[in-house]
Amino acid sequence: MDTALAWVEATGVASAVRESLWLTASLSAVHLVGVTLVGAGALASGLWCGGLLFANQPAAAVMRPAGRAIGLGLLISLLTGVLLVSPRASASAANGFFQWKMTFLIAAAATDVLVRRRGPALAGRATVAGGLLRSALYGAVIVAGCAFILLE
Amino acid sequence: MSIPDIAIWLESTTPATLVRESTWGFPIVVATHILGITLSAGMIMWFDLRLLGVVLRGSPVSAVYRGVIPWAGTGFAVMFASGGLLLAAYATAAHGNPYFRIKMAALGLAGLNALVYHLSIDRRRAAWDAQATPPPAARAAGLVSILVWTCVILAGRMMSYTMF
Repeated sequence: MDTALAWVEATGVASAVRESLWLTASLSAVHLVGVTLVGAGALASGLWCGGLLFANQPAAAVMRPAGRAIGLGLLISLLTGVLLVSPRASASAANGFFQWKMTFLIAAAATDVLVRRRGPALAGRATVAGGLLRSALYGAVIVAGCAFILLE
Repeated sequence: MSIPDIAIWLESTTPATLVRESTWGFPIVVATHILGITLSAGMIMWFDLRLLGVVLRGSPVSAVYRGVIPWAGTGFAVMFASGGLLLAAYATAAHGNPYFRIKMAALGLAGLNALVYHLSIDRRRAAWDAQATPPPAARAAGLVSILVWTCVILAGRMMSYTMF
């Protein structure tokens, strides 16, 4: 693992990010746009599951676009996140907040897959619980991400 | 009193000093600001996408607006309160930062776009409220809103890398 992380840090891309403040700032800015998309999807689906937003709408009308927003947001934030972390891969991997962020992210993505694939087959309460859990986990990813960038 | 004088005065206030000098003040306020932006821009995005005719096409535009506005409003309040604290703490650096000016200009544009929408397009809403695809002027307002809010987020993050 240490060898792999050291290799990542030695790549040309990692060096480019490390040496350019402008590139780091741009990647971080785009990363935040991705995070906002994830937050928008997770919030809307979570609030719908809790009956607090678009309550008269069918599940598909909210969950489908919310899932797309989360998917696009994750794609953007994962691509930019990998690049941002590459110059300090070892330090990031050892950081407690980063570890929490990744744990929440994996749990959120797993719940996401479960909700999307099994959602129609699950009973109403299970779908609602799954949606709420997914939203809470993505919210935790954002909070842990904030802690990582601000307190590392 | 000139703007630099106001900036210096803002930085000398107690809340600004607390944000700048306490261990947890800055991280907590920045994290709150990011969460506020996610809530406000994220919720407004749903309304913008409805104006564009992309999501919730079976729901009237007015119903989508009524649904998202309490959440977006809460997000705005959190964003402006935390943003105001951050601005007060680093007013001098922010004043000279180009990305701060871009962010403020984009926020102004977002407000102007919302004002124009409510004073013109929205007044004729009864005629198109339930349409799956709203008229071009409404769609344009939705697109402008998404673009300027993206600009607010991008410029805001660039600020934090270029101010200190």
